[in-house]
Amino acid sequence: MNAQPVTIAGHYYDGRQPLSRPATLIFIGEDVTLHGVEPSQTFAGRALLVSPRVGCAERFIDLPNGGQFLAPDSEVLDHLRQYSEAEGVAAWLEARMPLAVAGVVIIVALLLFGYFVGLPAAAGHLAQRIPMETERTLGREVLEWLDGQQWFQPSQIDEETQLVVRQGFNEMTLDLPTAAQLRLEFRNSKFIGANAFALPGGTIVITDGMIKQSESDDELLAVLAHEIGHVELRHAMRHVLQSSAVAVLVATVTADAASLSAAVAGLPAVLAQARYSREFETEADDFAFELLKRHDISPAAFASIMERLAADRGEQERAWSFIASHPVTAERVERARAAAEP
Amino acid sequence: MPDYDWECPVCHAANVAGRESCLQCRSPASLSANEIERLRVAYHEDPGFDPGAIVDFGLTDTVELTAVAHASELPLRFHGTAREYFCIWVVNLCLTLLTLGIYSAWAKVRKKRYFYSHITLDDTPFQYLARPLPILKGRIIAVILALTYYSSSHFFLAILPYVLVVGLIMAPWVIARSAAFNARYSAYRNMTFRFDGGYREAVTTIYVWGLIPAIVVGMMFNWWDSVWIPGLLFGAFSLLFPWWMRRLKAFIIERTSYGGAYGRLTVTGGQLFAVYAVASLIVVGGAIGAVAMAGTMMHGGGDLSPYAFLFFGAPFYLGYVLAFAYIQAHISNRVWNHARLGSVRFRSTLLGRELAMLYVTNALGIIASLGLLIPWAVIRTLRYRVEHMQVFLLGDLSAFQGEPADTVRAAGSEIGEFFDVDLSL
Repeated sequence: MNAQPVTIAGHYYDGRQPLSRPATLIFIGEDVTLHGVEPSQTFAGRALLVSPRVGCAERFIDLPNGGQFLAPDSEVLDHLRQYSEAEGVAAWLEARMPLAVAGVVIIVALLLFGYFVGLPAAAGHLAQRIPMETERTLGREVLEWLDGQQWFQPSQIDEETQLVVRQGFNEMTLDLPTAAQLRLEFRNSKFIGANAFALPGGTIVITDGMIKQSESDDELLAVLAHEIGHVELRHAMRHVLQSSAVAVLVATVTADAASLSAAVAGLPAVLAQARYSREFETEADDFAFELLKRHDISPAAFASIMERLAADRGEQERAWSFIASHPVTAERVERARAAAEP
Repeated sequence: MPDYDWECPVCHAANVAGRESCLQCRSPASLSANEIERLRVAYHEDPGFDPGAIVDFGLTDTVELTAVAHASELPLRFHGTAREYFCIWVVNLCLTLLTLGIYSAWAKVRKKRYFYSHITLDDTPFQYLARPLPILKGRIIAVILALTYYSSSHFFLAILPYVLVVGLIMAPWVIARSAAFNARYSAYRNMTFRFDGGYREAVTTIYVWGLIPAIVVGMMFNWWDSVWIPGLLFGAFSLLFPWWMRRLKAFIIERTSYGGAYGRLTVTGGQLFAVYAVASLIVVGGAIGAVAMAGTMMHGGGDLSPYAFLFFGAPFYLGYVLAFAYIQAHISNRVWNHARLGSVRFRSTLLGRELAMLYVTNALGIIASLGLLIPWAVIRTLRYRVEHMQVFLLGDLSAFQGEPADTVRAAGSEIGEFFDVDLSL
């Protein structure tokens, strides 16, 4: 503190009653005197404690007598003992618009990197470390629930056909790392029609509708290879990890806006998760094409059944491609045809 | 406005047609029997009482007409700006992402400190005193709880019911702790607030009818074969929700004290119920509008484009936003207008449609700016809320007596306490 006396005008609060008293603090040398109370009091300057700067707000100075002095923000206060040194740094950063602009750039870069590179890589690594057994209970409960709620009925497909499909399935999966977990289930369903899907834990369900739609065993195996891809690439686990990470990120960014409108926070999360989902489908397709070729089946079989299913559903896909969980069929068919070429 | 000559029901002075309030005592021309009774008593017993003053207060929501007419107002002001808060918001978000969430505790302190410091009552700002470490501790606990819940709901379904039971046991503790934390680290004029509601009281407040634990535990362990019993319980709880809400608000307000004076809440469950009833009607209205629009569009014939649902979804969404804003505005009004803290009274005059307008423009601004206008939205919402809140002092501020422990520095030294965690997120 310099020798020249420094005067700060403000208000004094004694802590016994919420009354505001105009007062001044006068700094002379190492000491500080409080005027405006009777009698005036003198303290050591080191004993004062100043609240952090925030915006242009007034700052609170705690005095050793239990009282508090409220003063407009000024440089003088920075020379006193601070309530929190760390917040002083934060306040310095917050006071600079160019830094805020740089901050926006860093935030955007971090979010894009995390979304496109960081999260998928981290989830991939983590998923490999979590044994498939942890998912099995969930998969079993889901199947039991679907069976119990009349979503599924027992399959009407004759034993012979089932056996053929099962044999093809077993041959295809024989040398895969997850062979022990992979299981094939046949179900009839009025609701979901021609469909096949992989449940968490390695169970793959194929509906009677799908078997009836197929015109060859190769087509069925192509569909199954795609589902095996989901299991082999741990998409169930990665989906849980990645979409919850996205939800946490979106919640972090929009935390302040969350109470303003749920729709504002919800939409980006849905879009971001949908893109991951489409990526999983493409990954599973690529896996399937490789697996099929290894077993001398042309990926063209995948193309033909996908086309037939799409024609049957008569989907209007393009308009919704950005929010859909699956890529546009035409693109998948094209990729399958390209993979089929030697 | 009466189109006939009338006699003032309060002071019996004669008034001519067209006058909205009494020539002599300024009482409004139209009053309910109850209001007339109160004004008469006040007017005849207290020569200083001015019934005209109550006209400004909106008679419907003001219980203590006489008291408020005497009160002096303590000006409440908001000084925050979007520009300043934008910088704080960016630094907070940036450092939170860079430190994988650890900075979020510091971010919360900076944000709260900014809001507290930029709201002044009678020209003195509020003070936020919490330190980041207890907040970080609270957040770590919250993350562990969330992970436990998340993994049990996704993978270990067998233990999920037990996790939920533990959650039910912990919830009252969390509510009481965070209320205590918030109060203790909020100060005004070198005196901190206090909250002394305990766990036992929180349990009886939240679970008094046993409905919530019964529904949750019952469903988790499949006590009932039919869906009727949980359905009925749920329906009953929905109807009784305003009364439950009142209990919860009363618990928080009446256990909070400042300078030795405790809060009081005189709002009734029925008053809150009316707000929810109107909000339900707004939602139903929106839904009817949506169905009507869908009907006319179908009638128009032709193919419906995939975007069609956006059009007939609009009235439904509008109804939802309006109802949401209506609830926010009017629950807040009714609670504040029937709350007091010692000799301090409040008056909140939020309007549902203004709040809805604010939400819609906020959402549009945030979407159009890809999130950059979030700080702007936060600031203007807070400004609207502060500008529609008034604080009145009936007696003297010196009636609030701080104990030595209330002073800011003493509160700060309690930080070592083990359970000093902030669990409000």
